[in-house]
Amino acid sequence: MRFKSTTGLAAIVTAAALALTGCGSGGSGTGGGGSTNADGKVDGTGKTLNVLVGVLPQYPEQQKQWQSDIAAKFKAETGADVKFETFASANDELTRIQTSVVSGQGPDIYGLGTTFTPTAYATKAFVTLSEDDWKKVGGKDRFNQAALGISGPDKDHQAGIPFVSRPFVMAYNKDILAAAGIDKPATSWDELAAQAKKMTNGDTYGIATGYKDNYDPWKFIWAMSVQAGNPLVDGNKLKMDDPAVKKAYQTYFGWLTEDKVVDPASVGWSNSNAVAAFASGKAGYLMMTTATSIPTLDKSAIAGKYEYTLMPTIAPGETQSKSDSEAASILSGDNLVVADYSKQKDLAFAYIKLITSKEEQLNYQKTFGDLPANAEALASLTDPKLKPMADAAAKSKATPFTGAWGDIQLALLNVTVQSVPDLAAGKVDESALESRIKDAQNKGQASLDRASKG
Amino acid sequence: MSTDASHEVRPAADTAAGRAPRNDDAGQQPGHKGGLRRKGLSERNRPLWMLIPGGALMIIIIVVPLLLGIYMSALNLDQYTLRKWISSPFIGVENFVEAVTDSPLLHAVWLSVSYSLLAMVVTLPLGIAAAVATQNAFKGRALIRSVFLIPYVLPSFVVATVWRTMLQPGGIVDEALATVGIHVGLWLNGPQTFWTLVLVQIWASWPFIYLLALSGLQSVDHEVHEASALDGALWWNKLRYVIFPYLKGPLALAFLIGMLHHINNFTLPFVLFGVPAPADVEVLPILTYVTSFQSFRFGLSAAMAFISLVLIAIPLFVYLRAVKLDDAETPGAKK
Repeated sequence: MRFKSTTGLAAIVTAAALALTGCGSGGSGTGGGGSTNADGKVDGTGKTLNVLVGVLPQYPEQQKQWQSDIAAKFKAETGADVKFETFASANDELTRIQTSVVSGQGPDIYGLGTTFTPTAYATKAFVTLSEDDWKKVGGKDRFNQAALGISGPDKDHQAGIPFVSRPFVMAYNKDILAAAGIDKPATSWDELAAQAKKMTNGDTYGIATGYKDNYDPWKFIWAMSVQAGNPLVDGNKLKMDDPAVKKAYQTYFGWLTEDKVVDPASVGWSNSNAVAAFASGKAGYLMMTTATSIPTLDKSAIAGKYEYTLMPTIAPGETQSKSDSEAASILSGDNLVVADYSKQKDLAFAYIKLITSKEEQLNYQKTFGDLPANAEALASLTDPKLKPMADAAAKSKATPFTGAWGDIQLALLNVTVQSVPDLAAGKVDESALESRIKDAQNKGQASLDRASKG
Repeated sequence: MSTDASHEVRPAADTAAGRAPRNDDAGQQPGHKGGLRRKGLSERNRPLWMLIPGGALMIIIIVVPLLLGIYMSALNLDQYTLRKWISSPFIGVENFVEAVTDSPLLHAVWLSVSYSLLAMVVTLPLGIAAAVATQNAFKGRALIRSVFLIPYVLPSFVVATVWRTMLQPGGIVDEALATVGIHVGLWLNGPQTFWTLVLVQIWASWPFIYLLALSGLQSVDHEVHEASALDGALWWNKLRYVIFPYLKGPLALAFLIGMLHHINNFTLPFVLFGVPAPADVEVLPILTYVTSFQSFRFGLSAAMAFISLVLIAIPLFVYLRAVKLDDAETPGAKK
């Protein structure tokens, strides 16, 4: 895990350096051209479809294999070739999108992380699918409806076509829970803290989480806040100064400062450190994890002793869910978007239709662990380990669809970053926390204001 | 007869004399022409076309992006306007006003300059001392010189990753310090991050000073050593009055390049602290990066980048003027 994150960072740094020095290569020309025959089967003989997708660092070989398999199938179906390009990070991808958007050429299809979709949508460089377009990818109905939640600002303006779901869940160590006399994992955050206290003993802690992770902290705050009935963005208003947000931070920080149920070293941990701690059997719960932790955990000392379950869906201080949807996880996974400048959109839709078919989605799930976005495929999963993930996928809630989300996310995360010294010292001063939240509110609101003008 | 003879001689002499210059001429001609050509090489008919490849690359890679960057800094360019960026709203100096009044830019400038200066001030004596220590031959000198260069040849990314791992809470540095009863607290978060950055920068960049100081030392003539030895100069006086003047040129250059490098250093703080960076290490490149690639305010970020360019252009300009003026006078600057 350590190595993976290092190489990932290397890629980020390289991408960033490239971006900073302005050496980002111009978008490569699209292959093929000419008109595509839209009725019935798309004839793409002699054409090349360019697809940009995220690299899967855990499965380099499998990804290559999958790509060549699917390219062969696509060729058999349409006569067109598929050329894959990969990006290592959102920054890397953003650079590609920038150059492609500005030059009007580049990949025909992009794979996008869900939280990045609003930002990409804001560039207006991607096709907003018409009723007709949806038919070309197999119809809106073929997708898990929850997964469509972050495809566009509303039902009639959707650009993102769901490809896979990667919902967040928590893992628990069955032995440690049993030893503490806990028969059922927590369903509320209060219960979680109480259980964690029972499990904390010596160098074993109730909860493993990384306070220095680049993403996890904002996901906790967002989830707890949504569960308390505050989805953070209300039209053009940011509601980060709401008491629910402060309560969320206090709960999240409280695990360390009040409840003392996390390893004090976790102020310097990223998610992978938390996974390692959980894998060594030193923690009862591993928070905010996905199916991608299965390979690591199955090779670890706790193989067979752990299980996944939904993260708590009842807000701190509450006894039952206040929010209309349960928000077990942020709506997480990958969407596919078709570039507006593409001269072979029908071919692109045909490709998306192929890879979102039930059969291909199940095949993808088997190889990479990501859950299908295809509703039928999702429903047909029988592996008990995947059950909580499928549940979480259905109970996921989309983060607000605004181009300002990147800034809001950063502002949420920044509150944690600036609080880490206090965390390490064992006490986060309430007034300091309030001023940090206020700062985040101002920055996020400024960004929302720009978004509403944009 | 005699006249005849003289007559006869004259033409002979004439021809000889006449031939001689002609011969001379013929002999000199190529040389003369060569002289002309050499002259032409340095003064006229310069092969300016040779500048074309390098010049074209400079224009494409530096000048065009620079001009675009300056133009971008006057646009309200963000993710909403990126697609038709040429026609995105022109807002004049608003980005600059926002950068200066409503962003952490000035704080970032202060952090960048102070951290760079601190790192330079510490690395200078370290580098000079190391250069002086390895100037005279001793057994194992080659090995030591190579070892000294390790921090310099390691990629910044590797340096930062290794240090980040060592400085993690409960990491190897904390454990080592704990054995002697010192508890420093957090290295990678909070107010101490500034000093962490300075520390790692010093570790990574002192060999650069060492290298340039070494080159300065090696330009000291052997006679100078002999002369000062004959004069009976003690080692400190010799260093102070004889050797250091030779180092002035290379070290001034090292100082300048080092400062520019530190101020522009993105990799080190980015890998050490990540983004969003703790407020105490939000240096200029990090701020510019976050503004561009996390907040997608490309126009604002271009304004910030332009301000940092101006900032680093000032010492650069001063230095370039300085070397040009005392080109021949400073002993260390020539050779």
